[in-house]
Amino acid sequence: MPRLQHLKIHPLSVPGIVPAFIGMVLLLFGTILVIRSIRRGGHRLGFSYEGFRRLLSKPGNQYLLLTAILTIGYAGFLIGFLPYWLATGLFIFLFVFLFEWERGMSVAQWRRRLISAGIIAAVSSAAVTLVFERLFLVTLP
Amino acid sequence: MAMLIDNLARFLNAIAGFITPLALFNMAWSTLLGIIIGALPGLTATMGIALITTLTYKFPADLAILVLICVYVGAIYGGSRTAILLNIPGTPANAATTLDGFPLAMQGLAGRAMGIATSGSVLGSLIGMFFLATVAPILGNYALKFQSFEFFWLAIFGIVISGHLTAMEDPIKGWIAGFLGLLVAMVGQEGIHAYERFAYGTTELLGGFALIPAMVGAFGFAEVLSVMQNPPPEMANKPRDSVFPKPADVFRYWRTIIRSGLIGTFIGIIPGVGEDIGAWVSYAAARRKSKEREKFGKGSIEGLMAAEAGNNAVVPGAIIPALTLAIPGSAPAAVLLAAMFIHGLRPGPLIMVESPQFVYQVVAMVFFATLAILIYGVGLSRLLLKVLAIPRTRLMPVVFVLCAIGSYAITNRIFDIWVMIGFGIVGFTLRQMKYPMAPLVLGIILGDILDKNLRRGLVLTDGDLTPFFTRPICLVLWLITFSSIILSIDPLRHALQQTFRLVSSRIRRLFYRRRV
Repeated sequence: MPRLQHLKIHPLSVPGIVPAFIGMVLLLFGTILVIRSIRRGGHRLGFSYEGFRRLLSKPGNQYLLLTAILTIGYAGFLIGFLPYWLATGLFIFLFVFLFEWERGMSVAQWRRRLISAGIIAAVSSAAVTLVFERLFLVTLP
Repeated sequence: MAMLIDNLARFLNAIAGFITPLALFNMAWSTLLGIIIGALPGLTATMGIALITTLTYKFPADLAILVLICVYVGAIYGGSRTAILLNIPGTPANAATTLDGFPLAMQGLAGRAMGIATSGSVLGSLIGMFFLATVAPILGNYALKFQSFEFFWLAIFGIVISGHLTAMEDPIKGWIAGFLGLLVAMVGQEGIHAYERFAYGTTELLGGFALIPAMVGAFGFAEVLSVMQNPPPEMANKPRDSVFPKPADVFRYWRTIIRSGLIGTFIGIIPGVGEDIGAWVSYAAARRKSKEREKFGKGSIEGLMAAEAGNNAVVPGAIIPALTLAIPGSAPAAVLLAAMFIHGLRPGPLIMVESPQFVYQVVAMVFFATLAILIYGVGLSRLLLKVLAIPRTRLMPVVFVLCAIGSYAITNRIFDIWVMIGFGIVGFTLRQMKYPMAPLVLGIILGDILDKNLRRGLVLTDGDLTPFFTRPICLVLWLITFSSIILSIDPLRHALQQTFRLVSSRIRRLFYRRRV
C-alpha cells in the first residue's frame, strides 16, 4: 500500500493531526488531575486481600459481580456457542433464579421459584427469537 | 410572511400525513412504551431510544423516526410518575421532579401531582415544539454560512460546554469524558483519505465503533449493572385523588410554564446539555422568581410544574441542532441522530435546502407524541403502577437480552456484541468515578465533524490559523470555550486574577504618578 506521502496529499490533511490534538488535550487534563490528586494527598488504592474481602462482603457488590459474570458469560461466550434460543433461555432462567434464591428455602418455595424462572425464561426467549427471526429477518447467531 | 405561511402549510401537511391507521398505531404503542421505559428506574430515555432503534431499523425512515421521537417524549414524561410515587427519578431528567412531586404525594395529593406533571410536560413540550418549528429553519439557513472553521469550534464548544454543565462540581471530568468520546470516534478509516487509524489490522475495526452498540452498552448494559448493584426501591404511595390536570393550576402559573419552556428549549439547543439540566435550571429560576418561595421542596405546585415543563421542553430543543447542524442537543438526541444516519437521512445545514419537509415532519411527530402523553397521562395510571411493581430481577435479564441481540441485529456481527460489553464496562466504571456520560456520547458523534473540519480548514488556509480565531462566529465560540475552561480550573483562574490585578495596579500607578 503506498504511503500517503507518496500520494502527495496536502501535508496539513494528514490523518494524525486530530488524534494528536485530542491526545494533547487529554494529556493536559490528565496532568491537571494528577497534580490535583498529589496536592490533596492522593488516594490509597488498598489492593490487599483484606480490602477485597471487605469490598465483596457488601451485598451490592456481590450482586454486581454476579450480574457481570452472568451477562458477560451469556453475551460474550454463550451466544454463538449454543443455539440462540437456548442460550437466551438459559441466561434468563439462571439470572432470575439465582437472584431470587434465598438461603433456607423450603421445597415448595424451590419449586415455585424454579417454575416461575422457567416460565419467564421460556416466554421471553421464544418471543425475542421469533420477533427477530421472523419479523426482522435477522440471521441469529 | 410568505415563508411563515409556507412553513405553516408544510407543518399542516405533515400532520395530515401522519393521520393514517399505521402511523397512529405506531404512535400509540411507542409513546406507551416510552412512558413505561421512562417510569422504570434504570431504564433511561437514551437507553430506550438506542434499544428501539435496533428494533425499528427495518421500518421505513419516517415511521422509525416517528417511533423514536414518541419513545423520547414519552420517556421524559414517564419518569415523572416514578419521581412522584417512589421519590426516585425514573430518568435522570426527573430528578428535580422528586423535590416537590414526592412531598405532594406524601400529602395524599399524588393524583394532583401527576396531573401537574402531565400539564407541565405537555405545555413545555408544545413551547419547545413551537421553537423547533420556528428556530430550526432560521438556524438551518444561517448554518449554510458555516464553514470548516465554524464547525471545528462548534465541535469543541459542544464538548466543553456539555462537559462543564453535566459535571458541575468537577468539570474537568466532563471534558475528559468528552475528549475520550472524540478519541473513540477516531478509530477506523478516516473521512478524507480513508486511511485506517487505530484498527491494528483487524477488519472489524476498519469501520470504527458502531454508534448504536456503543450507546446500547454505555447506557443499557452499564445501567443494568448499576441497577443490580443498588438496593431495590420501595413503593410508597398509591394515588387516591384524580390524575386529571386542573386548569386552575395551569392558569395560575402560566408565567412559570412559559419561562420554563423557554429555558428548557434554550438548554436543549446547547449541544450535549440535556433534560436533567433543563429541569434543574428551570426549577431554580422558578424558585428565584416565585412569590411562594418557602413552599419549594415541600410540595410546591409551581416547582413541580417548572421541573416538568423544563425537561420536556428540552426534547424539541435538543432536536433543533441535531437537525440543522448534525450536532445533538442531548444524549437521547445523539442516539436519535445516529438513528437518522442509519435510515439514510442526512441532518445538517443542508436539510432546509434538501428536505425542508422532513423538519416539519419532525415537528408533527413531536406534536403527536405530546398529544399521546396527554391522553395516556389522563387515562393510564393503574397500568403504570403494575409495571413499577415488576421486580428488577425479572426485568433486567430481559433488558440485557435486548441489549445483546439489538447490538448484533443491525449488522449481524458478533463483534458488535463485544463492543456493547466493552462500552458497558467502561461506561459503568467511568460513571462510578463520576465521569458524566453525555459528553462521551457527544464526543463519539462529533469526532468525525471535528476531524474533517479541522483538516479541511487547515488545508483551505494553507496552515494559517487566523481564520479559526477571527471569523465572527468562531470568535464567539472560542471565547466562550476558553473562558469556560479557564474560569473553572483553579490555578489558571488564580493566575488570571493575579495578572489582572498586577496589570490594573500598574495602570492605576501610572495615572497616580501623573496626577502627582
